[in-house]
Amino acid sequence: MRIKELIKGDAGFQHVVDNMELMSAAGRRKMLDTEFSTDAAWLDGEWNRLDEAIAAVREYKYKKPYIDLRHCLMCLHDLRGTLASLANHTPLNEVELFEVKNLAQLCRTAAGSIDGLGLTALLPLPNLDDVFALLDPDHTGIANFYIYDSYDPRLAPLRKELSALQIAGNDPERIAALLAEQNEIQSEVCVSLSDKLVPWTPTISEALEQMAYTDFLLAKAELAIAWNLTRPVLGEHIEYKSLINPRLKKRNESTGLRYQPVDITIGHGVTLITGANMAGKTVLLKSIGTAQCMVQCGFHAPAEKVETMLFDGVATSIGDDQDEMNGLSSYAAEIIKISDIVKRSRTEHLLVLIDEPARTTNPTEGKAIVQAVIGMMQQASSATLITTHYGQLGGDCRRLRVRGFVEDMSDMPLNPRNINLFIDYSLTEDSSGEVPHEALRIASILGCDKELIDKATGYVNK
Amino acid sequence: MPFVQEILKHRSLSIVGLEKNTGKTVCLNYILRRLNELEVPVGVTSIGVDGEQVDSVFATAKPEVTLYEGTRFITSEQHYMKRQTVSVLEYVDSRRTALGPLVTARVLVRGKVLLSGAATTGVLRGQIGQLGNAGCKLAIVDGALSRLSLASPTVTDCMVLATGAAVSANLKQLVAKTRFLHSMICLDEVSPTLRESLGQVEQGLWGVDEEGVPHDLGIASVFLIGSAGGDLLRYGHTLFASGAVSDRLLKALTPLGKDITLVARDFTKLFITPEAYNDFTRKGNRLMMLQRSKLIAVTLNPTSPQGFLLDSRATCDALSEALQTPVYDVMKIEQ
Repeated sequence: MRIKELIKGDAGFQHVVDNMELMSAAGRRKMLDTEFSTDAAWLDGEWNRLDEAIAAVREYKYKKPYIDLRHCLMCLHDLRGTLASLANHTPLNEVELFEVKNLAQLCRTAAGSIDGLGLTALLPLPNLDDVFALLDPDHTGIANFYIYDSYDPRLAPLRKELSALQIAGNDPERIAALLAEQNEIQSEVCVSLSDKLVPWTPTISEALEQMAYTDFLLAKAELAIAWNLTRPVLGEHIEYKSLINPRLKKRNESTGLRYQPVDITIGHGVTLITGANMAGKTVLLKSIGTAQCMVQCGFHAPAEKVETMLFDGVATSIGDDQDEMNGLSSYAAEIIKISDIVKRSRTEHLLVLIDEPARTTNPTEGKAIVQAVIGMMQQASSATLITTHYGQLGGDCRRLRVRGFVEDMSDMPLNPRNINLFIDYSLTEDSSGEVPHEALRIASILGCDKELIDKATGYVNK
Repeated sequence: MPFVQEILKHRSLSIVGLEKNTGKTVCLNYILRRLNELEVPVGVTSIGVDGEQVDSVFATAKPEVTLYEGTRFITSEQHYMKRQTVSVLEYVDSRRTALGPLVTARVLVRGKVLLSGAATTGVLRGQIGQLGNAGCKLAIVDGALSRLSLASPTVTDCMVLATGAAVSANLKQLVAKTRFLHSMICLDEVSPTLRESLGQVEQGLWGVDEEGVPHDLGIASVFLIGSAGGDLLRYGHTLFASGAVSDRLLKALTPLGKDITLVARDFTKLFITPEAYNDFTRKGNRLMMLQRSKLIAVTLNPTSPQGFLLDSRATCDALSEALQTPVYDVMKIEQ
């Protein structure tokens, strides 16, 4: 699976991609084509390269070679179509030849800047000086292009005559004939130049791909610095210290709300997470999903300590996929997703994240479904996190509870807008099998109708 | 020679037509030829597609754009390939249009070209800047169809308005239609202080108080104006419409009384009929512009694509008198 597909999932990886400051369309393509990798050696190599890039960005951020390189990448055009034509021996036109010449010049400029950053060994670029020279017969050294007179001895006298006639403006037929002849010669030159460029196609492609990768790597380094990301360590379980959900943290900071990072350790088998409403259970699942995608796509991850293992994939059922247009209710959409997860987990080693399964159907059957899912996922090789409001679920799985609502956590008077100050988002081991009963209390803090709450409380106490 | 010296006081010029086939391209060719004689380095681009040999709507013969040595031009890849000049490519934009990427080139041997350009004013602004950076003293934008947005003072510094028999074969109607657009272009501008305070406003309808401070009236769309009534004047009698001004807005304001000053961003934001405008002003209200376009000249094409031919002299005279500004027959000035 590639980043292109991962961002469509509900783990929240899109936010990471949206925050990548890529300079070029080619760099963006490189990012979107990156695979969710299960190759520990490749990931280790990628994290090494990222570490080196981070060090260079920290040192040179506002200095000339770095600014020049980013500017160079901004001018990079994705010439894959042109290069495919070339590989197929289709002659290039003037605009395409201009693009190739421009790429050759950018490659030389970028190589100089990369050298200035001390990253030549990390990001080597091929030498395209011969390509540039072929497209610069008059040795101008600038990336302008046309079919120069020096490409064909017939061009200079023809153009001289054409110019004189155009100025005199009195022989349209001869002008038309000269223009036609010029076009013919120009086409011949384009064919001959394209032929000469064909053997260079792999080298030009390599330059393009390497510059695209440079753009992607530098954007990853910028993100790692901006978000204070940590290099992952691979181990036998998942352990995050101060795990962050970048999207929520950003939103909370911009609205002046507190953001509390969370510590969590999980292993194989099922971990059940309970907690009151608004206690951040869904966010926690998304944070873990985002972090795992980042790790396996060669990014650093958003926590102070990141230890994790590699999975074949991240399978999620988070959010409401109700789609009337597809004729699917919330329940139908969800149960199909969960069924897929269960099937996949028979053959794949997955990180499974399921948010409040079967919450939209009747509690008797709903609870039975959750118990069945827990039972089956306990047998699978996957690591599974399930959040739920159902209490007293059977099975011997591990249970964690979000500490949740703590009345004396803040001196501020409690109101619907600052309720987040009174929630402790940290996790604690829980062996009781019970779930918190705080729904009515939270409803009352949110200012819900008093009669409604009193009546509901009456029913609870019956 | 008429009006070319006036153009040279500006950095960018748009040529807009009241209708298709009002002689914009003839006018452009005239200006380019004169600027070449004066050895002024110019750049040319267009909004949409222009410079076709045959008009794509009426299939009538159309003059092509002739560019001279040293002129820079922006066009699409496909049209660049059809040029009848010798020119050097200087830049290729990464954004693609339906006709390939937009390219910038400099003419080495004069000849005819097909112009096509960006479809949005944002990109157009960027191109005008780009031509300026490349050393062009003047950037000229040729219009397509009856689009006016390029003549917004936020895009080009000055404009030439092309009118002609294509607008109406009836002299009275031609004069009336041209006069109305001309009067919109020439509406009074607000004071520089008010322009500064309203310039920051991004969307919606705003009430302006006596200090010139704008207050959002909370009306995001003119379709929601119905129930607001007199409440619209709670901050004062000056209102600022940051987006389009339509008949619907004028009709909602007209019954509210007199002395209302409605400020629009510029004339390209006006989508109003003479009837609605006249009703609005007859009550003692007035329409003003945040920024006025600098109109350099009005040109006339006396022939219409359907074959009508107006009397050039009589039409120019009638228009000149109605507009109180010189009107030139493009077919004659080109000769």
